[in-house]
Amino acid sequence: MTMLTLSPAVRKSTNLILNFAERESKARYKRSLLGWFWSFANPATTVAVYSFAFGTVFGAQAPATTNGNAENFGLFLFTGLIVWSLFTGVVNGCMGWLLSIAELRKKIYFPTETALLGGAVSNAIQTGLEAVVLLMIMAVLANIGWTAIFLLLALLLTMGFGLGLGFVFSVMNARYRDIQYLVGVLLNVGFFLVPIIYPLSRVPDEEYGLPVRALVEWTPPAVFVEIARDGVYFLQTPSAGKLLAGFGYAVVTFSIGWVYFRARSMEISEEP
Amino acid sequence: MTMGSITVTDVSKRFRLERNRPSSLKEAMLRFGRGNDKDDFWVLRDINLDVDPGSFFGLIGHNGSGKSTLLRLMANIHRPTKGTITTEGRLSALLELGSGFHPDLTGRENVYLNGAMLGLSRKHMHAAMDQIIDFSGIGDFIDEPVKIYSSGMYVRLGFAVAVNVDPEILLVDEVIAVGDEEFQRRCMNHMNMLRERGTTILLVSHNATLMRDMCDTVGWLDHGRLMELGDPAVVVESYLDHVASGGDNTLTTRD
Repeated sequence: MTMLTLSPAVRKSTNLILNFAERESKARYKRSLLGWFWSFANPATTVAVYSFAFGTVFGAQAPATTNGNAENFGLFLFTGLIVWSLFTGVVNGCMGWLLSIAELRKKIYFPTETALLGGAVSNAIQTGLEAVVLLMIMAVLANIGWTAIFLLLALLLTMGFGLGLGFVFSVMNARYRDIQYLVGVLLNVGFFLVPIIYPLSRVPDEEYGLPVRALVEWTPPAVFVEIARDGVYFLQTPSAGKLLAGFGYAVVTFSIGWVYFRARSMEISEEP
Repeated sequence: MTMGSITVTDVSKRFRLERNRPSSLKEAMLRFGRGNDKDDFWVLRDINLDVDPGSFFGLIGHNGSGKSTLLRLMANIHRPTKGTITTEGRLSALLELGSGFHPDLTGRENVYLNGAMLGLSRKHMHAAMDQIIDFSGIGDFIDEPVKIYSSGMYVRLGFAVAVNVDPEILLVDEVIAVGDEEFQRRCMNHMNMLRERGTTILLVSHNATLMRDMCDTVGWLDHGRLMELGDPAVVVESYLDHVASGGDNTLTTRD
């Protein structure tokens, strides 16, 4: 019904976005026997291995939850990983999605952003499934409440932020492939600089003469991770500062990326 | 502005040549902020033309004269460097082999994707599917990935899609020459049918007879400039005279 009220251009784009999303989802596990099983195998093994290495071997303690339930390093980690893997999935994905339609775009016109948005929809579905698994586990452990909506919010903000970066990197990468390697390196570094495998409380306030804690705390992906953890692990409302910063990062980055992409995307068809 | 019209105003198109791209970071830094206009290649210069709604327009010219680039600009694949191009109505283009097909998708999936790109719903494409399969004559291959198609099959399916989406403007580059005699005849018949329905058709070809017989207006492009525009018989004659007189048809990347 809402479709009827949309302008023809938007409806056309929506159609294309869904087409690309379907293609991406189908292509993901094409030629594999276990299909969607792999989308759970990956995060599950990551959580298991990291829990062993950091929880069991290093003896990392999961921070206390508000009601004392679900105090588990694996769950603490899983919450952060969902946010982080959405972020990296979208940023890396954008570069791949744009390259995958570059040849096609030389032969037929369509709004290039639809391919990226379609890929993002497909990633969102994958992340959504992971989030459902997390919420079900939390429900079984009786550590769940209305604050779970902050997980959804965190994921939306991550998506906006990731797309903004993805828009910019994908255009730059179409010209020089250095970008994808650079982004790969930065994301590797980011994984350890963002409090995913460790709680923020373990980060020293100051080190090397730098306010390390504040720097880590206010890095955009860290803000999104913290909002998600507040919502489903600690069951508390994130601070106003966190929410404000999260919105700011997402809206500003997405807007800049969108404007940049729209200005440059016509050049894609001229890349050799 | 009426449906089916194409208006080309003062259009020039510049391509950056690959050899002029910086190949290292150092070179890129040194060049940053400095234009290198002298090394660019102008494919089209100051083109002005109007295609009337419902007319059959032909573009003729040697290889590299800019015909295909002009078609791509009309199809909105590239943006003109200078000037503007306006097209009114649903535009369907058959520009080259495998036009708008994604190699990994099946013929059927590509038909839906193409439809979506043209703004047609899945339902609409579903309704047109039988007609498209029938016209293309590729049968069961419709459910195979298009990358295994022969060049003839590519063109057949491409043309079948292009003409079965009710275009108001149809752009056709040389490609139909790839099909066999029988298919070419079918394409011509179909284009005539579309023309009677009022579709604007723009065809690029080297075939002088075809141009004279089919077109209402012919434009002759030479090295990116529009040399002559008007009555097919007259323009084709000038073009052939030019070719016979040994006109310079060498492909150059410099002006």
